[in-house]
Amino acid sequence: MTGAGLAGASLLGAAGCGGGSASSVSSGGDMWKQFAGTTLNFVSENTSPTTAIAANLNPFKELTGIDVNVLQLELSALVQKVALDIGSGEGAYQVVYADPYQIMAPYHEALADLNEFNADENLPSIPKGTDDFIPTQLAAAGRFENEENLYALPYDCPTMIWMYRKDLFDKHGEKMSQDLGFDPTPSPELTWEQYYQIANWFNENQDEVPYGTGHQARQYDSLMCDFSNILWSYGGDYFHEPKVGSLGTAEPGPCTLDEQEALEAAEFYKKLLSIAHPGSVSWDWNATDEAFRTGQIAMTPNWHEFAAVDQDPAESTIVGKIGYSPLPKGPVRNANMWGGTGVGINGASPINEQKAAWLFLVWATSPETMLMGMKSDVGGGTPTRGSLYELPEVKKAMEPPSNMPNLLTYDAVSEAWRPENIGLRPKIQSWNECDTALYTEVSKMLAGLKSPEEAMTTAKQYFDDAQTRVENLAARPWGVA
Amino acid sequence: MLLPVLLLLAVLSLFPFFYIIWMSLNTVSLINGISFDFAGLTNWTRMFTDVIVGAAWARAALYFVATVGLEMILGVAIALLIHELVWGKNLALSLILLPMFMAPVIVGLLGRFLTDSSYGLYAFALRELGIFEKDILGTSSSALAAVILMDVWEWTPLIVLIVLAGLASVNQYVIEAAKVDGANYLERLRHIVAPSIAGVVIVALLVRSMDAIRYFDIITVTTNGGPGNTTKIIPIRLYETAFRFFDLGYAAAIGLGMLVFSILVANAFVRILESRGLAK
Repeated sequence: MTGAGLAGASLLGAAGCGGGSASSVSSGGDMWKQFAGTTLNFVSENTSPTTAIAANLNPFKELTGIDVNVLQLELSALVQKVALDIGSGEGAYQVVYADPYQIMAPYHEALADLNEFNADENLPSIPKGTDDFIPTQLAAAGRFENEENLYALPYDCPTMIWMYRKDLFDKHGEKMSQDLGFDPTPSPELTWEQYYQIANWFNENQDEVPYGTGHQARQYDSLMCDFSNILWSYGGDYFHEPKVGSLGTAEPGPCTLDEQEALEAAEFYKKLLSIAHPGSVSWDWNATDEAFRTGQIAMTPNWHEFAAVDQDPAESTIVGKIGYSPLPKGPVRNANMWGGTGVGINGASPINEQKAAWLFLVWATSPETMLMGMKSDVGGGTPTRGSLYELPEVKKAMEPPSNMPNLLTYDAVSEAWRPENIGLRPKIQSWNECDTALYTEVSKMLAGLKSPEEAMTTAKQYFDDAQTRVENLAARPWGVA
Repeated sequence: MLLPVLLLLAVLSLFPFFYIIWMSLNTVSLINGISFDFAGLTNWTRMFTDVIVGAAWARAALYFVATVGLEMILGVAIALLIHELVWGKNLALSLILLPMFMAPVIVGLLGRFLTDSSYGLYAFALRELGIFEKDILGTSSSALAAVILMDVWEWTPLIVLIVLAGLASVNQYVIEAAKVDGANYLERLRHIVAPSIAGVVIVALLVRSMDAIRYFDIITVTTNGGPGNTTKIIPIRLYETAFRFFDLGYAAAIGLGMLVFSILVANAFVRILESRGLAK
């Protein structure tokens, strides 16, 4: 076994023992100390896994002697920061929260190939290897176009599931069942049409919550996420290219939003939003969850990592009253939007800083650090490694009362992550522009400014135009630096 | 002697200006360091044929006329009222000026809070009165009006302040003489006060116009240009093009378009001032 392997075994062993302290990984030896004195800059979206890591960097400092400055930003600000850093050629941020769609797809050439570090005998390798990462997430968060290059290690994995007020379903379930003619208990066997009927029932038959459903339908990225679940479940998609969602591609072909399935999905989405809480059209994901946890709505398609705040008595009025299920199915399939991200290394940084950044990546995505994150008082995410879900204390936390509330959603998200159920938006270089076109057109549809057909047809046109521009850009001979 | 100052000026303003012009004539890539590929007038021709940019300019014009118009009408009216106050003038002025000292992003957050359909005071009041039951910022018919009113709320005090300064300089002897001659308030306003404060009103109009063209913060915080692009004015589209799509060459062309518009508006006001002999 190589030294790198020893270090990996140490990390693995610590996790396997149920979460030894991070200092236990220092048995890996000098390879962890070779960049002592280096300072790394980690730029990340302001998500709970990074908040947890930022609050507990001492074990890494003790292990490596490396200081890490963590800069947390809202997603669009993060993308700007990274893009401009890449453009400057400085590599000031050595560790990058590499959103697969807004950073990795357009800028993968500027990220280091992690295979080189993983194979370097003088550096620790990934504990348990890349196979420990959930396969769909490794492809979506870590790679672009092919299975060979590895640009990021899966770091977080927010996924949209059906969150509902279990107390209200328990209370009204029988009456709802009689009125609607089916068992309304949320499950992936129910259809979106039935979801609509349940929402409407809540609107008309009770007064504990003002509305049955609420959605993140602001003219923003959140609207694309919410709409995509229904688009996919109706059999529609953005492109026909099969790997566009998983590995991604530079040439996705023509957009398919004008096809019949997409039009039907758009029509249904408009119908669904017509009975949703009226605030939905100005809510992003944060506002939607706030409405849910303050008792404004009975159910919502929501990001599973909001479970932590929804189960926090200081933030929520519905602690212990929440149920979780995969999203409803459509005429073709069940689809649950995955919004995970990896951490990568800026290829423009000096090579020694890149190697120091690799140490951080190995540590940050190690089983024991992920376990630490789940237990963190300041948040914590959900592991992207399959092995962690086998630990006894993690299994125990999947049932209430839980000290890791995100794990209460495990049954729902593990179903959602199955390859046939996961929803992966296109990983293409023009995604920022396509995303904007999509949520703008859907917003116009919801505002009554366009019909579903007009909205989808126009969005298709913008997708094709943006992709053509990006492909032309890629074909240019780049000059003056 | 002036050379160092001129060099500093060139570094601070001329170099960025010509750099942006150069960018607008290129396709710009950020990968592996910034690089340019000469594109001639491609970005400029695209700007003049881009439907989204055209619509953003049209909305910006509507927004410009509405905000500046309302601010001028309300600002002058409030200034005239305060000017007539016999007591409590300083207190009234202090209270009226408060919004102006808030950061625009805070005004946006406050507006979003007050118009929230779940707990917003304004949304509640409008709903209870049966005037408006939809989401204020999420409905195309109300969103633009809402962001316009937020801007008016914040910047009308600036007009009040400037006009009050103008009113303070009106010759009181002439006013008294007019009163003695039997001129009523409206007649004094029309024939004495209005001509006296015309210069400062035009300056106020110029200041607010320059700001209105660059309006960004409140819309970003409240609607992000939505719903259905109904509040997406040209600065929002510029930001989106530059920092979301990173289409920097095209964004440079849009930005220069805004600069040209600003210069034209400023020139128009300066000409008016000159024609009145007030631009010396």
